Amino acid sequence: MQQQQAPPKKKKKIKVPKVINGVETMVEVEVDDEGGPVWGPNGKHAILNHRLTRVDAPLKVSGAAEYTYDKNPPGLLYGRVVRSPYAHARVIRIDTSAAQRIAGVKAIVGATNEDVVEGSNRAADVAEKKDNMDLGSAKAPQKKERIVRFAGEPVVAVAAITPEIADDAVRAIKIEYEVLPHVVRAEDAIKEGAPKVYPDGNLEPKEKRGDAAKVEASFKEADVIFEAEYRTPILHHSCLETHGNLVDYRGGDSATVYASTQGTFTIPGDAAKELGLKESAVTAVVEHMGGGFGSKFGIGIEGKFACQLSKQAKAPVKLMLTRKDEFLLAGNRSGSWQKFKAGVTRDGKVIALLATQYQLGGLGDGSQAGQPYIYTVPNFYRERISIHTNEDASRAMRAPGHPQASFGIESLMDELSYKVGIDPVEFRKKNLKDEVYHRQLDRGAREIGWERRNKTPGGGSNPLKRGMGCAIGTWGGGGGPQCKVEVGIARDGSVSVAVGTQDLGTGTRTYTRAIVAEELGLQINDVVEHIGNSKLGAANASGGSTTTASLAPAVKDAAVNARLSIAEKLSPLLGGAKPEEISFSQGRVAGGGKTLTWKQACAALPSAGITAHGEWKSNLQSRGVHGVCFAEVEVDVETGHTRAIKMVHVQDIGLPLNRLAIESQINGGMIQSLGMALFEGRVMDAALGLQLNPGFGDYKIPGSFEIPELVPLIDDEDKREAVIGVGEPSIIPAVGAVVNAVFNACGVRVRELPITPDKILMGLSDRRTV
Amino acid sequence: MKSFEWVSPTSLNDAVNLLKSAPAGDDADDVARAIAGGQDLLTTMKDYITRPTRVVNLKGIRGLDRIEGDARKGLRIGALVTLAQLEENTLVRSHFPGLAEAAHSIATPQIRNLGTVGGNLCQRPRCWYYRLEEVICLKKGGSKCYAAEGENKYNAILGGGPSYIVHPSDLAPMLVALGASVNVTGASGKRTIPLEKFFTLPSEGSIRRENVLQNDEIITEIQVPASSFAAHSTYLKFKERESMDFAISSVAAAVELSLAKVVKQSRIVLGGVAPIPWRATKAETYLTGKTLSADVLAETARVALDGAKPLAKNAYKVPLTQTLVRRALVKAGGMSA
Ligand SMILES: Cc1cc2nc3c(=O)[nH]c(=O)nc-3n(C[C@@H](O)[C@@H](O)[C@H](O)COP(=O)(O)OP(=O)(O)OC[C@H]3O[C@@H](n4cnc5c(N)ncnc54)[C@H](O)[C@@H]3O)c2cc1C
Ligand code: SF4
Repeated sequence: MQQQQAPPKKKKKIKVPKVINGVETMVEVEVDDEGGPVWGPNGKHAILNHRLTRVDAPLKVSGAAEYTYDKNPPGLLYGRVVRSPYAHARVIRIDTSAAQRIAGVKAIVGATNEDVVEGSNRAADVAEKKDNMDLGSAKAPQKKERIVRFAGEPVVAVAAITPEIADDAVRAIKIEYEVLPHVVRAEDAIKEGAPKVYPDGNLEPKEKRGDAAKVEASFKEADVIFEAEYRTPILHHSCLETHGNLVDYRGGDSATVYASTQGTFTIPGDAAKELGLKESAVTAVVEHMGGGFGSKFGIGIEGKFACQLSKQAKAPVKLMLTRKDEFLLAGNRSGSWQKFKAGVTRDGKVIALLATQYQLGGLGDGSQAGQPYIYTVPNFYRERISIHTNEDASRAMRAPGHPQASFGIESLMDELSYKVGIDPVEFRKKNLKDEVYHRQLDRGAREIGWERRNKTPGGGSNPLKRGMGCAIGTWGGGGGPQCKVEVGIARDGSVSVAVGTQDLGTGTRTYTRAIVAEELGLQINDVVEHIGNSKLGAANASGGSTTTASLAPAVKDAAVNARLSIAEKLSPLLGGAKPEEISFSQGRVAGGGKTLTWKQACAALPSAGITAHGEWKSNLQSRGVHGVCFAEVEVDVETGHTRAIKMVHVQDIGLPLNRLAIESQINGGMIQSLGMALFEGRVMDAALGLQLNPGFGDYKIPGSFEIPELVPLIDDEDKREAVIGVGEPSIIPAVGAVVNAVFNACGVRVRELPITPDKILMGLSDRRTV
Repeated sequence: MKSFEWVSPTSLNDAVNLLKSAPAGDDADDVARAIAGGQDLLTTMKDYITRPTRVVNLKGIRGLDRIEGDARKGLRIGALVTLAQLEENTLVRSHFPGLAEAAHSIATPQIRNLGTVGGNLCQRPRCWYYRLEEVICLKKGGSKCYAAEGENKYNAILGGGPSYIVHPSDLAPMLVALGASVNVTGASGKRTIPLEKFFTLPSEGSIRRENVLQNDEIITEIQVPASSFAAHSTYLKFKERESMDFAISSVAAAVELSLAKVVKQSRIVLGGVAPIPWRATKAETYLTGKTLSADVLAETARVALDGAKPLAKNAYKVPLTQTLVRRALVKAGGMSA
């Protein structure tokens, strides 16, 4: 084949993102320096860069798509976990005798020292820290102590023939605890004498950057010095499908795991370890999954329990977390508490910034992009510090750390712009080097009608007050070399593309087909994709918006190889035309003055058809995107209610593979962001250490009536002929845009999310009394 | 949910006897329960907050699912009438508009298709602490009200103590405003209870219950009398989230105006702010004989919230409810805002 015959390629080293537990770190890899396929100009595609309806839509709309939840093999058992009701406690005794007597209970794990599954879905470093602590405990040197560190931590799990019997068994298991002091509020956790979450204390420095002395000096040159604190609560991923797995292991030497996961290939290894099998003996199946948003990597604690239950019962066990479990123990977006002191000149330059950034990740570290984020501030000093509390560990959640950081700095910038009396858009431009932001700000402002903006926040006699705000974000979205794709063409003309990757609902299936169809001059439905199985070609986990930039280049490469391979076979029929000169378009294959239909062409193939393989090509993808959001809201100052009216998001993305899917991503990001701005937040009772709103009735995500007019705009000024992942950037700036719009509308600056009516009403009454 | 015995009687008599004869549970929340639409009962059972030994299905009893009457005689609403039926009924919509609005404001279309009027009046509180299986507060037989000192943003500002729940029903304030009463059948007979006397404050009735019903009693019918103000009734409900939310605060209002636009009589009942539908009698009295000017509305709103004692985190409910009182009266009085 053409490519294999080519002389050895020059190599170069580049840095690519590697996602661990949904968090990106950059690693160096060696890739080809030149050659290989190209996408060509963004405007010249027949299928790509158009609005493609998702190929799995009929299955999903009709309910035919089978999720892990829907799988019910014969002999299935249902798993449930027993959670600690205490935020911090020592397990003294576990009595399962009553539960064992319930008819239909088939397995109980975690009650003896041999099958303990500990902790939460925390990041690896945190687990290690905790292990050290357990070993260091003086009280029980020989026996490993069992300490629970948050209310909701699973201790034991049961499997029974119905979910209801499992639920009854959960209540029949008696666990005796020695209750230890806990702390669940960041401001309490940093107090002297606070209960210690970890032996080293509750504060964990993460980063120091900049020169504090220089910042202090440059405050002297500032015309205005301003200090403020901003806070966001812990948020939940709110995946429609809860975490869970169906582990089908009946005691033989192989097992199948149906998983609701963002990483098909993160499952077999984890499961094999629990089951005592070889990794290759475990097959993970992920045909359809109901959302992850960063929370579903690896088999998780619920998966470990499921494996052990299945092993004990020698029967398939489905352990899907209940919705309450999901809130309590499946991870969350860390909260934030940011303290700023900023110096700004009269002409609108922010010249000095001090930032203390607390990451509130419970047992986890939490995350926060460093300030001043996307802004250029000549002198800044920042410290990022984790504050630990007795709460479930944070996990990656759609653009980890960015919405928090963007909300903080964008609120600050907005406040500063009003302080010095400069239009917020102009003010931002003065402090942004990157011209792309200027371009996107101008486009967003035009689209929302920025000139109609309220000139006096809170002005006018009508209780319904409208206002506008804007904010900015950034993201990576590059890929890495992990995907192995196979394209097959059969003699009957059918085309398949296979790779083990997963579709989180983001449209992976659709563009995988589309790329192959485009390359072979076919229609999208002429291609069938096979994904979601660890026995297929390798693929990366879907975190950090890396899926598309990792997968699409490999699909393209495989499709090009398939095209060249079929062209080579057809050359004799097409007047001996060179394979690379044979054209494939509109279902026809042409060369050497002759034309064949696709069917005729395929009929000429050998009986085995054609199989071609593809790998990642760095030049087919890129990383680094911007993103600007504008929002218009209406605040009823007599009830405190905020209604979003319109949101506009401008997003650069390189080559948009499927415009409709990208618009949906942007819309989804704006909606989730609106939830963060106006509705969502975990509520904890400090004394009890319990979450008070672990359900969709009380943890309020936006519903259909809350959704404003959404305007997702793809920034086609971005001429990069390269694929970039865009799952995350649209959730970043919308929060700040809404918050700033609320201020512009009613004159109340809410510095602690969410902006609920009580805060607006109390804010208004405070202002009145001033 | 805890396993239970399911019975589906076809007569009222059998139903109340089945409620009466059920094996006694250990706790007030372990006793037999009637089930209608199940939209509330099932949520508490799934969370093991109620653990009935026997569940008595009312849906098999004939004749309780009708709305009858007319504008002159008033309404008779069967206890099994669904919320969807109520909001769509033309008689209700034209002559008791506030009741249709109240029904429409509840939950979601799916829940309104199943939830019934009787179940709506008898639903249990939504206080966060009540709804957590892990917490045994006063209302569940414990010794402490956790909301009093804890997270009480949604709790009562009026009539609270020692429990500070707010009654979650949206129909209740409106039905109280319309002067409704309920017909009840129990193992030892029938009685009719004015709805105003049906709900109990935690300081008066059993802290474990929100109304005067005995465990073997079933609501069979709600009677709404004809009145000179029913056609000028409205229900204004404030939700944090329009798509689905309980009332953070609500106002059921009805006014009768003279030709000269003077208030002859009015009803103002507050929801979402007290353990019972809170009738603002003083405000009603103040309003009588006045015209609905901006000043009068403001004063009525102030008087309606007289005596409010907010907890640490719910003071916002006072100005919020005052706004709703003014707006509800403007609407019921047929004025433009
Ligand atoms: C997500 C959600 C949102 C909701 N939002 C709202 C809202 O905004 N506003 C609102 O008012 N409600 C709301 N509800 C509560 C909703 O359950 C009720 O509105 C509904 O009407 C209950 O009726 P049901 O027939 O389903 O009651 P069931 O669940 O069947 O019964 C509820 C209780 O009443 C008792 N009961 C039922 N019928 C009778 C009877 N005839 N006589 C004596 N006792 C009886 C039962 O024993 C049980 O204790 C919501 C519920 C959910 C789940
Ligand atoms: S308000 Fe009532 S239900 Fe809520 S915690 Fe207090 S006693 Fe319990």
